[in-house]
This record gives sequence, C-alpha cells and structure tokens, in this order.
Amino acid sequence: MKKFNSSMNLPAYLFLSPALVLMGLFLIIPALMAIYYAFTDYYLLTPDNKQFVGLANFIEIFNDPIFLESLKNIVLFVVCVIPIQIGAALGLALLINKNRKGNIFFKIAYFAPVVLSLVVISVLWLYLLNPSEGLINVLLEKVGIDPQPFLSSPKQALYTIVFVSAWQGAGYQMLIFLAGLQNIPGSVYEASKIDGANKWQNFIHITLPLLRPTTLLIMITTFIAAFKLIIQPMVMTQGGPMNSTMTPVYYIYQSGFSDRLIGYSSAMTVVFGVVIGLITIVQNKLSKGDD
Amino acid sequence: MSTPVKRVIEYTFLILLASIFIFPMIWMIASSMKPEGDIYVDMGTIQSFFPSVNPSEWFQTYQDLFARFDVLKYVFNSVMYAVIVTAGSIVVNAMAGYAFAKFNFTGKKFLFGLLLSLLIVPMETLIITQFTVAHELGILNTRLAVVLPMLANMLFIYLFRNFFKAVPDEIIESVQLDGANYWTIFWKIILPMSKPAIATVGTLSFIASWNDYLWPLMVLTDTEKFPLQVAITNINSTPPVYTNQVMAILTLSTIPLIIVYIVAQKYLLQGLGGSGTGIK
Repeated sequence: MKKFNSSMNLPAYLFLSPALVLMGLFLIIPALMAIYYAFTDYYLLTPDNKQFVGLANFIEIFNDPIFLESLKNIVLFVVCVIPIQIGAALGLALLINKNRKGNIFFKIAYFAPVVLSLVVISVLWLYLLNPSEGLINVLLEKVGIDPQPFLSSPKQALYTIVFVSAWQGAGYQMLIFLAGLQNIPGSVYEASKIDGANKWQNFIHITLPLLRPTTLLIMITTFIAAFKLIIQPMVMTQGGPMNSTMTPVYYIYQSGFSDRLIGYSSAMTVVFGVVIGLITIVQNKLSKGDD
Repeated sequence: MSTPVKRVIEYTFLILLASIFIFPMIWMIASSMKPEGDIYVDMGTIQSFFPSVNPSEWFQTYQDLFARFDVLKYVFNSVMYAVIVTAGSIVVNAMAGYAFAKFNFTGKKFLFGLLLSLLIVPMETLIITQFTVAHELGILNTRLAVVLPMLANMLFIYLFRNFFKAVPDEIIESVQLDGANYWTIFWKIILPMSKPAIATVGTLSFIASWNDYLWPLMVLTDTEKFPLQVAITNINSTPPVYTNQVMAILTLSTIPLIIVYIVAQKYLLQGLGGSGTGIK
C-alpha cells in the first residue's frame, strides 16, 4: 500500500493541468454558460443587454413548431437507423465470418464507406440522388421504376438520410461484431452439433446470446451518436424540405449561430442535453445490470 | 442443392452486396477522371464506373481544380490540424492518464469521477457556448481555435490510465532512485513503453480531426485557413459548380484517410465509443 504523500500533489496537478484547463474551457464552462444563458434573452449582438427572463425561453421552445418537429424527426431517425444499421452490421459480420476464397475482398468492400467522412458521403449522395440526372434515378428507370424525389420530398428526405447514414456506418460495426463472433470458442458449436442442433438453432441459442455484450455496446454508442445528427441534413437538405430533416442539434446551431439567439438556443441545449444525458445513464445502468 | 450451385449463389449474393457498398466510391473516382460532359453522357451505363477512355484526360479535372482553388493550401491545412491534434492529444491525455494511474493526490477520486461523468455531456449540443468561449478568448478565425477543443478527451485519458496502471511501480521506483524526476520518467520510461495506447489515441485523434467540419466552419472566416472538409462544401457552392471537380476534391480528401485506415487498422477497434465519423 502506498502511503498518502502530499508532496505528490504538485506534480500530479502539473501533469493534469493541460487536460483540466482545456476541458474546463471547452466543456465545463460552455455547459455552465448554456445553463445560465438559457434563463436570459442573450442576443449575440447586444451582449451587455442580456436580461434574466426566467422560464420564458423554455416555454417558448415547447411552443416552437420547428423545435417540436426536430424532436419528432430525431426520434424517427433513431428508431429507423438503429435496427437497420445494426441489423445490417450483424448480417454482414455473419456472412464474412467464414473461411472462403476472396473473403478479404468482401470485408474491405463492406467497410469501404466508413473511410469516407460525413461531409464526403453527404456531398457524394447529393449528386447520386439528384432527382433529374442522378445515377440512382437513371438506374431505377432502367429497371422500370419511376424516378423518385428522394431528398426533395418531405416524405422521403428523412428516410433517405437514414439509408445514407446506415450505409456509411454499418461496416465499422460489422468489424466489432466480427471480433465478437471470433471470441466465441468453436468448441461451443461442436458441443451443440453433437446434440444435433441445426444452423438456425445454433444462431438463436448460441451466437445471439453470446453476442449480447457486443450488441449492447454497439447499441449504446450508435444511439447517442444518432441523436446528435447534424452534418448529413446540414449538407444535404439544410433541414428541409419543410423542416422534414431538421434535427435538434442543427436547430441549436441555426438559432444560436445563424440567428444569434444565444439565450433561446441555450434553452434547447439544456433540454436536449438533459434528455441525451438521461438516456445515456439509463443505458449504462441497463447494460451493467445485464452482467 | 449441389455444392457448386450453392457456391455460385453465395458468391453472386456477396458480390451484389459488395457493389452496394462500393459503387458510390467507384463512381466518385471515375467521375473525377473524365470531362464534365462525359459524366452525364455515361450516366447509368457501365462506362459511368470507368475513367475517361482517353488517359490524357484522367488528371485534367485535377489540373482545372488546382487552377481554380488553392487545393494544396487546404491539404496543407488539414494535414497541419490533424498532426497537431494527434500529437497534442497524445501528450495532453497521456499526461493526465499518468497522473491518475501513478500519483496519489488530494481529490483524485472526486476528480476522476467528475471527469468520467462528463462523458455523458453531449459535446455537439454545446457548440454555441463553445463558440462564445472562443470569442471571449479572442481566438476566433485563428488556427489555434480549430485545434484547441479537440485535444483533451476523457475517453483517451481513461485509456492511457488503464494502460499505465499495468506498468509495475518497481520500474518507476528504481529509476526514481537513480534521481530521475517525474517528467523524465514520463518521457523516457512511460511513453516509450506505451506504443499501443499511443497508436490507438493517435489514430482516432487523426481521423476525428481530419473529418471535423462543423467547428472549423464556425470559427474560421478566412478561406485560406479552411481544412479540406470545409473547402469541400465551399467548392460545392462556388459557381460554376462542375461535378467532376467536386468529385475530384472528394477523392483527394479521402486518400489520406485510406492510408491511415490501412496502416493503423489494428488500432481502430480499441477506442470504442470514441470520436470518429458519423454514427458509430
């Protein structure tokens, strides 16, 4: 056992200081400022005029149709993207987890979109999905499907972003699933083979339960990341058409940065931040109670 | 079903699936290597996935792009930001991780718990007040503003701390007897022993910095300080917009990442939940 040694305080805090200063400046202070500004009418261009307005901002945001729409959109996005992306990732991992010729090629191909940044995939798909001359509609027409409006339709835009996001992210989670699959000892399958289990029974009773920790980890990280969606709608649709792809983080950005309504934007930060924080805590509790 | 038939079906399926994942990239690269008109003439034919039939036209788009925009500058900026963030993040987070792993100090438990609990704060929702802080510090529109917020990261501190905890105290104590101070021990003993942790944090920091878009877009106003990601949307909205030139800048901005992913592939999975692209 080490004895407490107060002479270690100075060197310890010297080693900690760069990280502490930076986290203080760009995480703790901004968080506290957001909480404070949320109760004021701070407008960026008149910083000296900010007044305490109580709960006015909070009342206003819950009467703001765009903010409510953004909440609805993000819930829809998360509910769609999670099963699609994680399901695709698991399916791909199961396909790849095999010794066959050329397997490495398929693995690289499925992973390829991960290498593209969010800005790159957003701009690239903007061209591919162009309603009149984009590659996708040209190809659809060849197989006899009518051209689709995709991002220019309030009905299709959000689902299009779901598809593009899942397409980009699935390959990374495929690798995580693959690592999980390879951790399952082959002897488990051999034992069940002796018991006469078929492939499907193996999958349901052995593979899936043993992948549970991996799946939970992927779910938690995907869930939180999906809630913070902003780049794809920002680059592809600017939140439109008719706010159908507006998301909370994007709206926080627009009202705080473009409209300079710091107080109003901060109230949304507080509400949305608390929601994400609570979801994170609940998920962590659930996954810990699991094992 | 006989095995060869089964095999053909299996491979056909795998190839179809693979094409869904790679056709956009192939179209992107192919379109960057042909004249603008050819992109739309070829659209939907097999030729849309191949560069111009005339090899002398392959790099014409790139020449035009470089003539219109200071692309080298953007590449230089992105490389510089990514290198500084990578090195800075390794040093800053390793130092903090070392303090948590090997020092007893007042408030250690409290501080560690506090920093861990901050992981639940969604950074992206704080962009507006982070911007206000950058404004107060007077660093708006400087390169410093681009890199500073990306350095300290609790996940990386945690990763380093766990790694350093495994270093036996005896090693440190024996060097201490030789009169080495904490700083020397950290640089000469601890860091050189920590290559896997450094590689993981370095890889993830590099990718996060290379892909960063929103923050540099907010803090920078001079185009000549833009990193590639911001330059992409800038080029995509500066008329006249040519599809082949846009595809060329997309391709250019992706090449360094391909190299990083190939070189550092074994470190990619170790910082789960860390920063990176999109929804992972």
